[in-house]
Amino acid sequence: MKPYARISLKNKIFVSILAVILIISVTIALLARWILISGLTKELEQRGVAVAHSIAERGGGLVLDKNYPELLNLIFDEARLRERQHLINYIFVLDRGGQVLSHTFTVPFPEPLSTANPIAEGSVHSVRLVAVGSLTSYDIAVPMNEGLYRIGTVHVGLSKEHIDKLVAKLRFMFLGFISAVIIIIFYVSHRISRYITSPISRLTNISDELSRGNFDVHLDLGEGLDWAVTNCPAYKDTNMPCWHFDEQGRKSRKAEGKTGQVCATCLFYRKREGDEVIQLADSFMSMVWSIRLYRKRLQESEMKYRSLFDSGPDPIFVVDCDTELILDANPRTEELYEYAKDELLGLSFTRLGHEQVKECLSYLEDGRSNTGCVYYPKVLHYKKGERPFYVNMHACPISYGGKRAMIVAVTDITEMMEKDAQLVQAAKMKTLGEMSAGIAHEINQPLNAIKMGSEYLNLLIEQNREVSVSQIRDMATEISQQVDRATDIINNLRAFGKKSGLVMERVDMNEPIRGVLSIIGRQFSIQRITIRLELGDDLPVIKGHNNRLQQVFFNLLNNARDAIQEKMESEPGMWGDILVRTYARDGRVYASFSDNGPGIEDSVRNKIFEPFFTTKQTGKGMGLGLAITYGIVRDYGGTITIDSRPGEGTTFVLSFPCAEGLQTPEPKAGRPQPLPAQTSRIPE
Amino acid sequence: MTQEKILVIDDEKATLKMFRLFLDVYGFDILTAESGEEGLDVFERERPDIVLTDIKMPGMDGIEVLQEIKRRSPATEVIVITGHGDMDLAIQALNLDAADFINKPIQRQSLEQGLSRARERLKLAKSRQNEVRTRPHGRALVVEIQGSVSSHSEPYLREAYAKAKEAGSGRMVLHFDPNTSVNGAGIAILTQLVLESEKDGMEIVMAGLSENFRKVFGIVGLSRMVQIFDTLDQACA
Repeated sequence: MKPYARISLKNKIFVSILAVILIISVTIALLARWILISGLTKELEQRGVAVAHSIAERGGGLVLDKNYPELLNLIFDEARLRERQHLINYIFVLDRGGQVLSHTFTVPFPEPLSTANPIAEGSVHSVRLVAVGSLTSYDIAVPMNEGLYRIGTVHVGLSKEHIDKLVAKLRFMFLGFISAVIIIIFYVSHRISRYITSPISRLTNISDELSRGNFDVHLDLGEGLDWAVTNCPAYKDTNMPCWHFDEQGRKSRKAEGKTGQVCATCLFYRKREGDEVIQLADSFMSMVWSIRLYRKRLQESEMKYRSLFDSGPDPIFVVDCDTELILDANPRTEELYEYAKDELLGLSFTRLGHEQVKECLSYLEDGRSNTGCVYYPKVLHYKKGERPFYVNMHACPISYGGKRAMIVAVTDITEMMEKDAQLVQAAKMKTLGEMSAGIAHEINQPLNAIKMGSEYLNLLIEQNREVSVSQIRDMATEISQQVDRATDIINNLRAFGKKSGLVMERVDMNEPIRGVLSIIGRQFSIQRITIRLELGDDLPVIKGHNNRLQQVFFNLLNNARDAIQEKMESEPGMWGDILVRTYARDGRVYASFSDNGPGIEDSVRNKIFEPFFTTKQTGKGMGLGLAITYGIVRDYGGTITIDSRPGEGTTFVLSFPCAEGLQTPEPKAGRPQPLPAQTSRIPE
Repeated sequence: MTQEKILVIDDEKATLKMFRLFLDVYGFDILTAESGEEGLDVFERERPDIVLTDIKMPGMDGIEVLQEIKRRSPATEVIVITGHGDMDLAIQALNLDAADFINKPIQRQSLEQGLSRARERLKLAKSRQNEVRTRPHGRALVVEIQGSVSSHSEPYLREAYAKAKEAGSGRMVLHFDPNTSVNGAGIAILTQLVLESEKDGMEIVMAGLSENFRKVFGIVGLSRMVQIFDTLDQACA
């Protein structure tokens, strides 16, 4: 059956019809030939027999009279009678003894012929095929009787050639007729099969075109389409649901009691009257239009997102999760990273952001985030030529061309961080200004001692007094100590004023607190404010910047001082009290600042971290201190909580996460630790 | 002669140590205290003639100490020690009848001046001489000023001014004794006189002012209105 399956439907129909007709024709032909040829032969034989009988009847008397010339005359007459002359080859008459009485041969009688066809005893006639010379004849022998006696035998030789000619003629006619019939059937069946299968082949052609992606193929399937498909409202309005959605929409909207955008009667999906092929064509056409519709929507959607991708103000990458290669990138990436697009494509994403990529990939793989996306703030990325800059990075997993990939959107925050740093620096400078009175006082103390020491020595010299060695040693030691004291203060100040690097260092929380107190501690005590320290021993280190933390602590202490002084105005003689505690708990390091100031009103508490919010008199505070404090604390992953009872005081509690992998602080150095070498800076 | 008792109050141990050395050379009997409260206790016990006190101290500050000492014993001379440039505090202290103020870091010269002025004032207080005397000197009238210029000095100064006006001399020279001190009221009177003299077509000049008072006069703006000479001869020329 396999070869049969390979034949096209058209040929199947064609061949089937043809075969059936051929079989019938051949059967009819065989049957007709058998009937006609045997009938014809029989008939001619009958005629031969009739001629022979006629001769036997009429010639009997002549034989008895031995009137042989008359007999010869008779047989010649019979043989040559009209058309018979073609049929009858010869006639001869034999007597009882088998002697030839007369014959129609114009040549001497061939002797073998007389005995070639004897008549069996009792039979009416005998037919036998005999050959006489070059001719072959059906020899018909009929006995010649006179009464009961047999007086001779009449032989009539029918021309086989003639009979064969007749049969051939007949056969030719039949074959001709059957051939004509076959040719007609061939043509008709071919037309029929083509007619039946033509819509199917058209469908096949169309679907082939569709498979090749040519959706603009002309759908000429049915006749009498008196409307364009573009009339379909769903074709123009991509928000409108198409048929099967339309149907669903109708149901659900009915349930909800809403009227949505649906066609009253669907223009598009309708069935024409017709056979299965037409039905198939209709449904095929509907399918094609549906596909076109969805393809159009898909293209629109694709264009929409493509334009978003291309015109987005931020760089977006598509990165292969397995190879970490960049599969696609939008134009902004070229600007920001300064690579040409063809350089970017196929470049490993790790070249742009060294550290976070692996982390990000493993994070996405674990599926740890709820939304599937991860966010990395303030990540270091590199432009062409390894120039670093800072970005915020979002990564979401997608499937891209069958591969596992991620969409990475980055925002350049260099400018923001620059501004941030500038603001922090500006605030720090302001802080320095605020501290200046304290600093001046603080530096004045050792200077005073040194000055007095040197003046004393001068005095002794002028008065020519004896100076003992121990006195000089005393003085020298004292002066040296005082110089150290001044140097410490200056170092502290310098560290504080320095612009912080971007790379965070490990900081023991007690250090910045001590640093701040060394600068402003006395100032506070002069202002009748006692600062009590309860610093925890062996605190875990945190990640941050020493001088920014100093700024934070200075801000908090300064605010506490201002609050206390406000309270002092109404309660002269009171003593301010600030308790600073540090401790570690649950992997975090805490610093709490409690004052006995007037406290913070509930209504204000939520606002105090807002920029430009201040409770101080106009011109006294910018309202940036706590906002910047909050920003710095948040940058280090820390939190600030406020506990305040109006009239009794306020406690600020800061908590920071411990630096990972190190639970005990490094051995403490006596002097403030120098800032580590800065690997990178925001371009100024 | 019995040594004068001097009390130094400062919260800086190093400063106290230096003061001990210095004041020993100057021949004082030295007492020290590290806070205002302690200082008052020592004062009560020892009754020193001169008190040196830092202004900025935790707890009781120098101004409070000054007030308290002046309340208990007005005759005691108090010299305040101020941080560099704390002129407001200096003027405030002078108004409270401090004998002088010394800026930190302390210069030997200003310390000596302060101490000698205090000693002079102590002597003056004993003799209670007239603090304002006048004498003509060429065309100018010289007004010798001793002790302290305060609200008490007003009538004497007014009298001297009237004399100068009467004499028709075009110039009045205010000659300050090195031990003179001026308080807020004194400065107000001086300013008043200077303003009046401009109306009356008379010129007031000053001489013999110590460095500190020049500064103070600079701060209050008096030095912009009058000419200040170093010596009396220059002023009269």
